[in-house]
Amino acid sequence: MKIFSIITKSTLCSALTISMVASTLSLSAQSPEKSVIRINSTSQTYNNWQPWDKNAPSTTRALGAVLDGKQILTTAELAADAVNIELESIDGTRTVPAKVVAVDYQANLALLEAEGSEAESFTADLVPLQTNGPAKIGDQLEIWQVEDNGMPLITKGNVQSVDIVSSFAPGGYFLTYEAKASMQSASSSFSLPVVREGKLLGILTSYNSKDQIVDVIAPEIVKSFLEDAADGEYLGFPSLGIAANLTVDPSFRKWLKLPDDAGGLYISRILKGSAAENAGLQKNDVITAINGHQIGRRGYYQDDTYGQLYWSHLIRGSNKIGDTIKIDIMRDGKPMQVDAKLKMASERLIPRETFGEAPNYLVKGGFIFQELTQGYLSGFGKDWQNKAPIDLLDALDSPEDYEENRNRIVILSATIPTPATTGYESLRNLIVNKVNGVKIADLKSLAEAFQKPDSDGIHTIEFLGGRPETIYLDASYSDEVDAQLIQRGIPKLSRF
Amino acid sequence: MSEIFIKIAAALTLSASPLVAQLIAPPAEPNAPITPLVKSDPKNIYSSVVRIEAATQVPDYTTPWSAGRFSGGIGTGFIIGENQILTNAHVVSNARRLLVTMHGSARKHPAKIKYIAHDCDLALLELEDFKPFAHLQHLEIGDMPKLEDQVRVIGYPVGGDRISITRGVVSRIDFRPYSHSQVDSHLVVQIDAAINPGNSGGPVLQDGKVVGVAFQGLRSADNTGYIIPTPVIERFLTDIKTGSYDHYVELGLVDFPLHNPAMRRKFNLKADDPGVLVAAVTPDGSCEGILEVGDILVAIDGNQVDSAGNILISGEKVNLNEIAERKFDGDEVKLSILRNGQAMEKTIVLKPFPPARMYAATYDQQPLFTTFSGLVFQPLNLNLYAASKFSNARLRRLYARYIDEAIFKERKDIVVLTRILNDPINAHLGSHAGLAVESINGEKVRDIEHAHQLLHPAEMPEFFIIKCEGNPRPIIIPGDEAAEASQRTLTRYGVSKSHNLKH
Repeated sequence: MKIFSIITKSTLCSALTISMVASTLSLSAQSPEKSVIRINSTSQTYNNWQPWDKNAPSTTRALGAVLDGKQILTTAELAADAVNIELESIDGTRTVPAKVVAVDYQANLALLEAEGSEAESFTADLVPLQTNGPAKIGDQLEIWQVEDNGMPLITKGNVQSVDIVSSFAPGGYFLTYEAKASMQSASSSFSLPVVREGKLLGILTSYNSKDQIVDVIAPEIVKSFLEDAADGEYLGFPSLGIAANLTVDPSFRKWLKLPDDAGGLYISRILKGSAAENAGLQKNDVITAINGHQIGRRGYYQDDTYGQLYWSHLIRGSNKIGDTIKIDIMRDGKPMQVDAKLKMASERLIPRETFGEAPNYLVKGGFIFQELTQGYLSGFGKDWQNKAPIDLLDALDSPEDYEENRNRIVILSATIPTPATTGYESLRNLIVNKVNGVKIADLKSLAEAFQKPDSDGIHTIEFLGGRPETIYLDASYSDEVDAQLIQRGIPKLSRF
Repeated sequence: MSEIFIKIAAALTLSASPLVAQLIAPPAEPNAPITPLVKSDPKNIYSSVVRIEAATQVPDYTTPWSAGRFSGGIGTGFIIGENQILTNAHVVSNARRLLVTMHGSARKHPAKIKYIAHDCDLALLELEDFKPFAHLQHLEIGDMPKLEDQVRVIGYPVGGDRISITRGVVSRIDFRPYSHSQVDSHLVVQIDAAINPGNSGGPVLQDGKVVGVAFQGLRSADNTGYIIPTPVIERFLTDIKTGSYDHYVELGLVDFPLHNPAMRRKFNLKADDPGVLVAAVTPDGSCEGILEVGDILVAIDGNQVDSAGNILISGEKVNLNEIAERKFDGDEVKLSILRNGQAMEKTIVLKPFPPARMYAATYDQQPLFTTFSGLVFQPLNLNLYAASKFSNARLRRLYARYIDEAIFKERKDIVVLTRILNDPINAHLGSHAGLAVESINGEKVRDIEHAHQLLHPAEMPEFFIIKCEGNPRPIIIPGDEAAEASQRTLTRYGVSKSHNLKH
């Protein structure tokens, strides 16, 4: 959830802020002019209901930190669904196109690079920022902004707390610094570099103007991201693949046969194909330690640098994909140890984030089929968790009940009234079970199934719980309709 | 305690709100000047229209053990026979005391409900002592009014204590939802006379005969009143002749229009062949075991069914399900179907379908619940659903699919853990509130009574293990602490009784 109230328009600039800047400038070993760049990112999302169309584009102006190799670090949020990214000099006189080198929506980080013939001359004068190590609570940091006229605007703050926070993609919980700082509006105030002692500490992801608290992605996360991206092939942060509950409840502990002097994290679910599954972890196991760090009843461990931190940082904060971690567990009251080889987060039946990805769809005779994503559901508006169709929400909450023989959940998302869909106009948001007798695992299998209508040239479509459950579609008729739909402006009948 | 009082207490418990709120009518305005009546003996008719004063007690589903809210309201009724006063069900729902006043008299006469039909919002009252009313005229039930007919509405609406008359014209005849039960739809006649709170239950007259009962309005429109027309009244009066109200009956099928060319081809139907697709057969409904999904219903009781599922009854096109509107429990309906191209004749016996009442507002009943170690369990129904803000997708899906997926066959009740009365024994269970209970100690929960039994076994288990749908982490309550914790929470939170398992 973002709370960001800094105005990105470039109209606000007072004498007061400039004078303040002048006084703070001299304190910095390095200042924004040479090590910060403006980024203009134009993003365009896809239309949920007509997935061949894109929505109106919108442009966000942000700042990026110049790093070694003249690469620019910013948030993934800025790069999400970007169709055009350009770098702009601090004084606003020059621009150059840029590309995304690496992006991690979960950690909310993106690495950009200038491209094109002018890239070299554009970046020639830039001075890379070095990255900083971890800060302690109470340490001072600087948030770098730039006024519209190119003047730096530096706000000081102090690290108040450290926590595991999700700043952008659902489920993307990462180590985050929370600092007290009173910020003001300036141009391009999005994804601001945060610096300590002249070195880049992290990237600001949100500012709560009421509490005057900024969230900053922690240096460990930045470091892991940059190391992963260094070889040009970005893999992402590792994942264990469990859902966990606390073991504070004394009755629950008694039932789990946990000793009074231990902590423990209860495993309530093992994700399919995950590192946890491969390691032989089971539901009802209780994790007591990871790599020798004892896990408390509330899921916290004692971190050497930060004190009490949530256990997930032991997985994501200090490991790479392929690393093996040692997990101490209690299973039915008996201590055990397992090794888990960490891997990429496994594919979900209903993908949580689909930034930058065009939604898969198939149009047949006027029926619009799509693969269900969380993005599709959130398209039902702010209150989507109440407004979206209940069958689809249930699948999101309990994918394990729908996983059998499915890679994705294919839905009939809507019906365009055509001669082929006469009488079916009201059908929408139905989970497709079978087409022409074939169980539908994803859009690809749907397209293949539509290749085989019965001998009368009729497609049989079966829904999960539809009323009726089975409907029929004329194969040649729908092919004719499809041809007309292309003439009427649907550019492509499928994408997957 | 007199027998009468007990009967009332058992029969009525809950009213959604004072009937002022029930009757969704435009704000009260003094009615137009009363036009002089042309009918002979209007005074006689006035005298047969009575004012009903209801004192109600409305249960609170969020605290099912509490006494609820004491409230009341005013409505109208009219004498249709020897000690028979017809009114709306919503006028007398949840009533603890009913008093009837005659036109022009101050005396209040105690009355009680004889029959009540929440699904069609009608009730028949009887007076403890009918003698003072014995000389009054019995209003006669007339015919179905037609469009543009002029009618009079008589009653005791807000804006004064005396009788009020309004006139209107029949402006529409339609099937519409009856807001009292929130789930039933029946024939409704719309008139352009103002019907205001207090008019409810009053007669609508044409040529001195009753052609309807005023019952609801429309908040968003002026001068729109709805009346329950003669066929619905007649059906109610016929139904209760058996000595009890047996409820409307349902066909128990879902039809789907056969407009699609591929569908018609699949079922070998020519362009102008009649018939609609049977898309679903309600489990345990009147058609189960007789109709199958995929049958084409061609005619019902000899009325040809068109491809959109409509039949023609007395010149009006109506959905085929409305054939059950005029029928009773045990009546037969003849169905002509095509199954795999074969013409067949089937006969079904209509019956009411109690599971569907989960979606209907409940009145006159104390909510069912049980408690255990500070955990409150209630069966899911419309009243609970409306009173709570359930967000869990699995719970909402169970509610939505309770009938379609025949969930009711295995679980008469969806038992919900609705509330956790905080106590050391349940201090860490907050995330379980609002979830459906799947099993207790390994046994699937069938209904609230079953849940109560499982939570109060003869022999205490070491642990009570309660699994909720949508949260894989089970609730664990140590057996040796449960009884004490139950007692402690009941005392601390002023929960006057630990359970109520039967209506």
